[in-house]
Amino acid sequence: MKILGIDLGTTNSAMAIIEAGEPKILENGEGNRTTPSVTAISKSSERLVGLLAKRQSVVNPKNTIFSVKRLIGRNFDDKEVQHDKSWLPFNIQKSSTGGVEIKMADRWYKPEEISAMVLAKLKADAEAKTGEKIEEAVITVPAYFDDSQRQATKNAGEIAGLKVRRIINEPTAAALAYGLNKQKNEQIVVYDFGGGTFDISVLEVGDETVEVKSTGGDTHLGGDDFDRKIIEYLILEYKKQEGIDISSDPLALQRLKEAAERAKHELSTVFETEINLPYITSGDSGPKHFLLKLTRAKLEELVKAEIERSIELVKKTIKEAGFKPSDIDEVVMVGGQTRMPAIQEAVKKFFGKEPHKGINPDEVVAAGAAIQAGIFQGDVKDILLLDVTPLTLGIETYGGVATPILERNTTIPTQKSQVFSTAADNQTSVEIHILQGERTMASDNKTLAKFILDGIPPSPRGIPQVEVSFDIDANGILNVSAKDKASGKSQSVRIEASTQLSKDDIEKLKQEAAAHSEEDKNKKELAETKNHAEQTVYLAEKSVREAGDKIPVELKDAINQKTEKLKTTIHQSQNIDEIKSTASELSLELQKIGQMMYGQKKEGGEEQNQNPQQ
Amino acid sequence: MAEEIKEESQNKEEQNSVSDCEKQRDEYLDGWKRAKADLINYKRDESRRFEAIVKFANEAIVKDLITVLDSFDLALVTLGGEEDSKTQKGLYLIRRQLEDIMKLSGLERVIVSVGQPFDPGLQEAVAEVESDKAPGTIVEEVENGYTLHGKLIRPARVKVAK
Repeated sequence: MKILGIDLGTTNSAMAIIEAGEPKILENGEGNRTTPSVTAISKSSERLVGLLAKRQSVVNPKNTIFSVKRLIGRNFDDKEVQHDKSWLPFNIQKSSTGGVEIKMADRWYKPEEISAMVLAKLKADAEAKTGEKIEEAVITVPAYFDDSQRQATKNAGEIAGLKVRRIINEPTAAALAYGLNKQKNEQIVVYDFGGGTFDISVLEVGDETVEVKSTGGDTHLGGDDFDRKIIEYLILEYKKQEGIDISSDPLALQRLKEAAERAKHELSTVFETEINLPYITSGDSGPKHFLLKLTRAKLEELVKAEIERSIELVKKTIKEAGFKPSDIDEVVMVGGQTRMPAIQEAVKKFFGKEPHKGINPDEVVAAGAAIQAGIFQGDVKDILLLDVTPLTLGIETYGGVATPILERNTTIPTQKSQVFSTAADNQTSVEIHILQGERTMASDNKTLAKFILDGIPPSPRGIPQVEVSFDIDANGILNVSAKDKASGKSQSVRIEASTQLSKDDIEKLKQEAAAHSEEDKNKKELAETKNHAEQTVYLAEKSVREAGDKIPVELKDAINQKTEKLKTTIHQSQNIDEIKSTASELSLELQKIGQMMYGQKKEGGEEQNQNPQQ
Repeated sequence: MAEEIKEESQNKEEQNSVSDCEKQRDEYLDGWKRAKADLINYKRDESRRFEAIVKFANEAIVKDLITVLDSFDLALVTLGGEEDSKTQKGLYLIRRQLEDIMKLSGLERVIVSVGQPFDPGLQEAVAEVESDKAPGTIVEEVENGYTLHGKLIRPARVKVAK
């Protein structure tokens, strides 16, 4: 039985489950990864939740309930409720117990009943998505929620038919998603800049516990404010340019709003974007278009005050926790707005360290809730702990190149084989040199074993097929075998200690590989170039031999001379370009043979046995 | 006598160890079967997921291109007075060309007719207007809606009767 992790947000909610040990965000019924926390009773008395409720909010503002998280578990007389009452378009009143009641259609609802409708939709969508019944959940709340708000959120879950296994703090969930709960004695700051709210939490991770040291922020500061600022600016600019106020045209405003949001997103990755809305409106002289450049610098200027304010609030919250910025070990970014480079920069500058931002900031809280759910689930009987190969295993191939067979971090037990061939004509044996390590040249890696497979029937190079198989069992014991497909002869070796490296050793080897990656790349390229050049030499010699006296002596001499030159170059030069150019000189000469033969064929109609080898 | 007892207890021990082994064997076999089943299920899910990824890989660009269709629509409406003008016809054809290409990628227009009841499953209300139509019905479609392989990616924007 799966337990659902739910991030019940002020504007949007998200949900996740644990699948194969990893949190996975579940899409809702409409195929989206987040669901607007909006509920409505439509004019046709239908109950709508999420995107559908949002789509009809314009025509049904009194019965479309959003931001209910601002009301849940609060007293009607709370300062916050009184403030929010002034701008929320729907009606609220004091309940008999002093709480809040919300009017939707013909009834008064408790906030937890409204939240329950959102939760019930998430539950139903999750069930449809997973094909399993879901009866339990972990729900997140802001760290500053008091007992009554937590209890009300829990009740909302129960009303929706979910047994709430635990209410956890949003910042704690975010820290869980980044695996920071495993750190010991660390101070963590979670900077959560969402759509409508801005929360800061200072956490302390002790032994097995995550303690909230202080919370702060602004419940009415968010990414929506940024959008508003951009739109206001655009309207103003347009008025300046064209003398037309487009704010009174609902369709124009809608298009502008979407374009502003898109521009905001784009400016997280590019430095300049164009807002291009043809036929935005019509003036006295015909249609009017909207065309305006918005730069990242301008956007940052527009919201500079908000970003600075957020840093001020961070400062204050850390101080309240009794810490200095330098005491903070980790910073976690949550909320879509933290994708903005200026915010990341400001946070980085303030703490002097890179914040965690690898997980999608819109989904990190739900992912953390799922991880908590997974801990409760715990019923997955993990009798099989599968290991991985810590380093790449492979063999040496022509030119001293290390050719990987099993890449590092491959889950074991596993088996993989690859077919190799010979490098010279009439080669009757091959040496299998088994290597461990990440470097590209064989000599830089560790030799695990060497053996020789002989008895290969004499044949031209490239013809024999030698299959090399690597097999690692669950205990890390490596078996390497080589088999000549023609003769059926095989040879193998068993290596016991292929994974017996200490963690430090592995780390050292990996770092070495990373440090040498550029140099290794060059070495490999040189080896490959030389291999290629040698193939050309081989081909030249073979062509001359086979062509016999069908080609003129001058050409033969020219080829022989160039072949000798290339041989010397391969032997002596370490310069990739030099080898390449010498080889291509020879190739050009070789092409003349083909041209000549075809010419002869046309003239004499003589059948030529063309060799397909390239 | 004493020897017999010893033998018996040895037998018992052997039996115990055999039943332990059997238990372990069953557990391992079960684990193996599960692992195999997991892999088969995973492969199936993965191929389904892959299909969905391929299907909706274009979603972002299709969404952006819808705004271009919108601009064409607005241009055509604005030029509406000049029946059969050459510019209008050209614009109309380019728009159709674009929409046809997008249709090949799975785009479908949401059909909206004036007078039908407003459906938030496919439409988004942008305004409420006075009208002689029945309350809650569509008075005007101001922007087309589109689906991609059946998934609504842009609701039709409509005005609804008060």
